[in-house]
Amino acid sequence: MSRRSQNKSHTRAVWLALLAVPVLFVMCAALQVRIDAETRSMNQGNEELLLRSGRLLKNLSLGYEPLLADIYWTRVVQYYGTRARKPGATYESLWPLLDITTALDPKLMIAYRFGAVFLSERPPVGPGRADLAVDLVKRGIAENPDEWRLYQDLGFLYSIHLKDYQKASEAYLEGSKNPNAQVWMKVMAARVAETGNQLETSRLIWIAVYSSTKDDLIRRRATQHIHSLDAALGLKKLNESSEDYWRKFGRFPSSMQELRDAGLVGGALEDPEGYPYVMGPNGVPQLNPKSPIVLDPDQGPDKLR
Amino acid sequence: MSVLPGVVAINTFREAVRDRVLYNLIFFALMMIGAAILVGQISIGIERMVIVNLGLSAISAIGIIMAIFIGVGLVYKEMEKRTLYSLLSKPIRRWEFLVGKFGGLLLTLVVNTSLMTLGLGLALYCVGGKFERTDATILVAVYFILLELALVTALALFFSCFTSPMLSTLYTLGIYVAGVFAPGIQGVSQFTQNWALRAVTRFIYYLLPNFHDFGVIAAAAHGDRVPLALIWHNTLYAALYVALILLAASAVFSGRNLK
Repeated sequence: MSRRSQNKSHTRAVWLALLAVPVLFVMCAALQVRIDAETRSMNQGNEELLLRSGRLLKNLSLGYEPLLADIYWTRVVQYYGTRARKPGATYESLWPLLDITTALDPKLMIAYRFGAVFLSERPPVGPGRADLAVDLVKRGIAENPDEWRLYQDLGFLYSIHLKDYQKASEAYLEGSKNPNAQVWMKVMAARVAETGNQLETSRLIWIAVYSSTKDDLIRRRATQHIHSLDAALGLKKLNESSEDYWRKFGRFPSSMQELRDAGLVGGALEDPEGYPYVMGPNGVPQLNPKSPIVLDPDQGPDKLR
Repeated sequence: MSVLPGVVAINTFREAVRDRVLYNLIFFALMMIGAAILVGQISIGIERMVIVNLGLSAISAIGIIMAIFIGVGLVYKEMEKRTLYSLLSKPIRRWEFLVGKFGGLLLTLVVNTSLMTLGLGLALYCVGGKFERTDATILVAVYFILLELALVTALALFFSCFTSPMLSTLYTLGIYVAGVFAPGIQGVSQFTQNWALRAVTRFIYYLLPNFHDFGVIAAAAHGDRVPLALIWHNTLYAALYVALILLAASAVFSGRNLK
């Protein structure tokens, strides 16, 4: 083939490739979208982990266990992040993933701290396994006895999720003995022991969780809980006003306006998300049905009276 | 239509057979015989599943190794032996040569994979004493492995057009591994709050050949049905992607100065 015809053939091939390759890429991407939809339905509920033993993986990692731990931690965050608030989501692999991560790198504090929050969250935003979260944090304390923050996490789990205020107080107190611990750990130990079951105490604990991290995911979770507690506190106050109304007029108010007209409440009667509270049956105030706030089961309207 | 790519393909296949490439079948046969004997002793109730998992994984791994290591040398070897010069002096276009080489290796892989599938079938029969209707999914899994091998072969051939076999191997293997982990890349794009990272990871996700979607070994082992639409879409996807890579390879190879 002559040089000239070869150049011509090359130019033709390059032009063809320049025109066809992007078109083919777009077609492949469009096809990929359809394949994703098909494989998603195939993989629903498939949460298998090939290796569940952290010790075995550690032996197989050939000295790269810290890197492997980082990869597994990334998987934990993705796993939890893609499921949280997805209706009907299950979290079967969350504990094995955290177990493997911390077995590979026992000093990976973030895995203990955030892992405990992920594990303890109630459905649908988590598996509601506070017991496993406690095991995880205790393992973290055994491996990292100088980390006072882990005692804070243990106290948080006992008080907020397991309602064991005695053990929560002990955890805060134990953590406060660390010379690096914040002063408020001692205050928290005393407060939880005295008034652990009060909404105000729970709110303080969540504020401590919020301010102890810069991670967006945890902060969002903490903010949701703080808003939920604020809403519960707001409803509690409104309920007290509703009972005052009953004592004054011999019946419960049928609307918020009646409470306002009676001079028993004032200001904006809204939840932290800006949705006005509504009056339910028998004068029990409730969250607006449009409000995105979800009250914990032990803070609902049925718990007001 | 020109028959020249077919001639090149047949010769490439013959060359592979002469190079004793199909000897890997002995290794596969020994492994399957060993597994069929051992699996009954060590796994209770999941003998069939172990055989399917092991057999299909071996078919895939052996195929990938062959596709990469033979694929990266397809063009390079011809240049090094200087056989390419005499070949291109004949009335054959460069793209025809490339397509022929691709077809030849694919034919080798198809023959190799078919024989291994036969071995897997025999091992399954030895363990279970019969074939079940759900075993048809194994054939779908083998078909998907072949699609995967076609893509890997095209990639190896593409890189071998402009770089050394060593680098071609690294690049092909790198893209293959990245393609297997494509859902992880998609996971980042779904999870991140950073729009720039989301855009980049989404672009990479669609740009990379998605090898993950060809993996139905678990479904085959559990006897789950693979949707017909997925078979059709994966076939089309592999065909389009192979066409795309071969087009790019032709463009690169046509401009290569062989003197």
